[in-house]
Amino acid sequence: MTGITALGLPEARRNEAAAVFRARGVPHRRVEEWKYSDLKSALGEAGIGAGQADLRISHLPSGVETFDLAGPNPPDWVREYFGLASRNVMSAASLSLSAGGTAFRVPRGLAVAEPLKFEFTGSGHVRGLVVLEDGASLTLVEGVTVDKFRNAGLEIVLGEAARLDHVRVSPNAGDAVLVEEVSVRIAQGGQYRAHFAAFGSKLSRMEVEIALEGEGAEAHLSGVALLDGKRHSDVTTHVIHRTVGTRSTQLFKHVAGGHAKAVYQGKVTVAKGANGSDSNQSAKALLLGENAEADLKPELEIFADDVKCAHGAAVGDLDAESLFYLRARGIPEAEARGLLLQAFLEDAVAEIPNTDLRELVRTELLTALKALV
Amino acid sequence: MSIAAETKQQVAEIGEKYKYGFVTDIEMDMAPRGLSEDTVRFISAKKGEPEWMLEWRLGAFRRWLTMKEPNWARVHYPKIDYQNAFYYAAPKNTPLKQSLDEVDPKLLETYKKLGIPLHEQMALAGVAVDAVFDSVSVATTFKEKLNEAGVIFCPISEAIRDYPDLVKQYLGSVVPVTDNFFATLNAAVFSDGTFVYVPKGVRCPMELSTYFRINASETGQFERTIIIADEGSYVSYLEGCTAPKRDENQLHAAVVELVALDNAEIKYSTVQNWYPGDENGLGGIFNFVTKRGDCRGKKSKISWTQVETGSAITWKYPSCILRGDESVGEFYSIAIANNYQQADTGTKMIHLGANTRSRIISKGISAGKAQNTYRGLVSVYGKAKNARNYTQCDSLLIGGDCGAHTVPYIESRNPTARIEHEATTSKIAEDQLFYCLQRGIPQDEAVSLIVNGFCREVLQQLPMEFAVEAQKLVGISLEGSVG
Amino acid sequence: MLDIKNLHVSVGGKEILKGLTLSIQPGQVHAIMGPNGSGKSTLSYVLAGRAGYDITEGSITYNGEDLTALKPEERAAKGVFLAMQYPVEIPGVTTMTFLKTALNSQRRARGEPDLDAVSVLKQVRAKAKLLNVSEEMLKRALNVGFSGGEKKRLEILQMSVFEPKLAVLDETDSGLDIDALRVVAEGVNALRDPSRAMLVITHYQRLLDYIVPDRIHVLAGGRIVAEGGKELALELEAKGYEHILKEPA
Repeated sequence: MTGITALGLPEARRNEAAAVFRARGVPHRRVEEWKYSDLKSALGEAGIGAGQADLRISHLPSGVETFDLAGPNPPDWVREYFGLASRNVMSAASLSLSAGGTAFRVPRGLAVAEPLKFEFTGSGHVRGLVVLEDGASLTLVEGVTVDKFRNAGLEIVLGEAARLDHVRVSPNAGDAVLVEEVSVRIAQGGQYRAHFAAFGSKLSRMEVEIALEGEGAEAHLSGVALLDGKRHSDVTTHVIHRTVGTRSTQLFKHVAGGHAKAVYQGKVTVAKGANGSDSNQSAKALLLGENAEADLKPELEIFADDVKCAHGAAVGDLDAESLFYLRARGIPEAEARGLLLQAFLEDAVAEIPNTDLRELVRTELLTALKALV
Repeated sequence: MSIAAETKQQVAEIGEKYKYGFVTDIEMDMAPRGLSEDTVRFISAKKGEPEWMLEWRLGAFRRWLTMKEPNWARVHYPKIDYQNAFYYAAPKNTPLKQSLDEVDPKLLETYKKLGIPLHEQMALAGVAVDAVFDSVSVATTFKEKLNEAGVIFCPISEAIRDYPDLVKQYLGSVVPVTDNFFATLNAAVFSDGTFVYVPKGVRCPMELSTYFRINASETGQFERTIIIADEGSYVSYLEGCTAPKRDENQLHAAVVELVALDNAEIKYSTVQNWYPGDENGLGGIFNFVTKRGDCRGKKSKISWTQVETGSAITWKYPSCILRGDESVGEFYSIAIANNYQQADTGTKMIHLGANTRSRIISKGISAGKAQNTYRGLVSVYGKAKNARNYTQCDSLLIGGDCGAHTVPYIESRNPTARIEHEATTSKIAEDQLFYCLQRGIPQDEAVSLIVNGFCREVLQQLPMEFAVEAQKLVGISLEGSVG
Repeated sequence: MLDIKNLHVSVGGKEILKGLTLSIQPGQVHAIMGPNGSGKSTLSYVLAGRAGYDITEGSITYNGEDLTALKPEERAAKGVFLAMQYPVEIPGVTTMTFLKTALNSQRRARGEPDLDAVSVLKQVRAKAKLLNVSEEMLKRALNVGFSGGEKKRLEILQMSVFEPKLAVLDETDSGLDIDALRVVAEGVNALRDPSRAMLVITHYQRLLDYIVPDRIHVLAGGRIVAEGGKELALELEAKGYEHILKEPA
């Protein structure tokens, strides 16, 4: 036995995960949650295998403690939080099949100024854990390397009044099949902000489950997808308002050209008694190609009456009148389209709090836009 | 015990609340218990059907045996034992009551609140009076008028006998035999239903079934309705009844098929107020309905309006296939779930043709311990150039023990299509209620007023006289829901 | 007509009114002035019977009857009207439908027959004209998308349609410009009547230039701390609440 299994971590968690995965198997399009992302057919005969992927740290700011999940003698915080999220089928797969990855901890009250930069890398399964203790804050910058198939499971635990800004940029990954499940638990007054910029691959799925567990906990998600060719990108979110006074917002903007397929599935659950919950969801998609496809499924599941919950979704194309206006002012069509697309995506990009990261995403988008129009 | 008998017993035990309609001991002409090819043959024989119809039914039955009951909807109910139910029971005669004095006063009170005219009250409650015959003769008069216009409006069994070619052409052409578990079951065992054919260029001279409300209320367990609007025609069809309905079948699985040819329009309105079960969730109808309209011709239009207040379980998605270019589909819905009711309802708008348009307005109200789900699909296919959809989906919660859920699927495969979807969730605000009370409006009436305001856009779609009753029904369904 | 004695009221366990005593006769217009948080709105809600306002001590007698034993709608039927500071929006319910429903509810509670739609319409139209409430406003959903001035005019229109015996006007001047204020005040003055009592609640003296009260009470810290004639308003305007609050009541 190697890695975490050998360390006396609750074996029950891994067994449970293995059982979940055995029962459900590799998801395909007839599995409701995977309707628009047929993982089984994308993987073909190779299946999900049992390979080991890795987590590579490219910048570790001082003050952040790490633990190699393949190493011996895990500290208490790893024992406590690792491997709790196992209900999601692919998360269960990585939990039961992965023997590696990294855990991070920001101690109580520490505000880490520099971003922590890391990326999941290699083919196979891998896990990550990020724990912010009460009052701690951190910016997490996640990169994505291009490999054949990777299934990464990332757990995030935010203590009281902790704050995490998470930015993930997933480049055009060609033929790669990339699946990632992020599970976030937020205590009282904690705040999670995430932005996912996706440029797609053969199949790319980013799945986030967020539990707002303490009063006043907040989650703010935003994202852009810019897809061309036969690329696919799926962002699937589930925000659960477990208690009173919790807030969540979501703003996703997707653009699909060529034969690309952009998917957004977002579910918001308000538990019984979670009064004063406030949730807003907005998802918009633009189609540029005759053969492109956009799928949106904004879902509400409400069990409390004193709530403010709304969602809006729209699919369309570029506004012809705006396009004409720009061209009438002498801007060539391709450029005008680019400008309008940029404007379409901008309000989601503007959600990124960190200026440098915001600029980074803008630059990536601009490059991709030029290729698209 | 069969599910039907079980309901009957449960209802009898409940006693006071909903005993009307369940107490009459009707002499049955019954099919043997259970479901087999023999049952199907029995029903077909009872109906005096031709061979081709029997074969169609048997095909459906064989298919059904291989199918699984769907479980994706947010409804929970005890497993139905299909082999332990009766599939055909023709009421021979109903012993009539001598006067309204014999009728449950609570039932009469509901009729009064709904503003149902006296003679109809009597008919609904099964009282023997001349007034009933008056309304039957009224019905006859209108039937003559329909004949003049060339409109066929008859029981489906009659249509199978008299218009076999039309039936063969359209039966199962919108909801195929193999469509889903409940629709396939219906195809095998349906015993009732309506057939409507409106010829080319004819505007049907009246709202079908408004004047036949009493007759229309005597519907069966497995109805099958087909409405065909030929080129350039128009028909408005009203299904159901605002009055509480007498029914002792727990399981209902109806199929409705609409076909609109070039430039034709069908408006289909439903008010469903079947027994919802008692305050503790005991008893009540399970309603699994497949309703679908095919806008087959160019510039055709199909509009569904529904007010769903009854049934313990509602599983219903009236849909439109927008096949013809420039065709239009509409879905206007009010679904109220109170106590332990579970409603999972919505629509599908399938845009196939160019310049097709659809509009969805859904108002869901949850109270008590009920669960109310809107489930909808808007799908635009590659050839549906310039397709347009607008969806508004509003939920209202009354109390903290109920649930309101919204599950919209939006799929677009055409860059020129535009789809817009909005959803909101709200409650009856304490200050709204207080404002009404302060102006002298009692609580139940205030709730009714506010909820009717919430539903206004849908109520406006109903034919006038129906709308008035539906408004009252909204209030009655929610009485006592605000403590 | 209205006798409030030693009224103590708590909201969410916190005592807001702490022994308020006040008496109004038919035909009189009384004003209650006071700084923010003095308990003015609490008083108006208690009179109308809003849930969540607990009377812990004291009494409210209305025409010889214990007002506190009545439900809000019963009070309305017996002639208690509260023109609210923030009139509530009710989407989908047209103003006209609301007026008719409320009027007939009150009539039914008093054992009077319902009025048909046509006579309600006639009555409302005639009164709406005086208050500059347009036909179009009557067709729109109640208070939805109405401006501040429109909302307040509609409150006064309701008052004139329901013809209450005791009208409580809670901050009717808030959010109004001078022209709108004049229209509203004229509407109120037109409803002054020997058989009707009014209680005008306001923060500013401005409204009282237009609706001249018979008597002014100053409410502070949950009690009446000063009383006087209409000149008291001018004094308050000139010297501010601070000045009065410092003097022994």
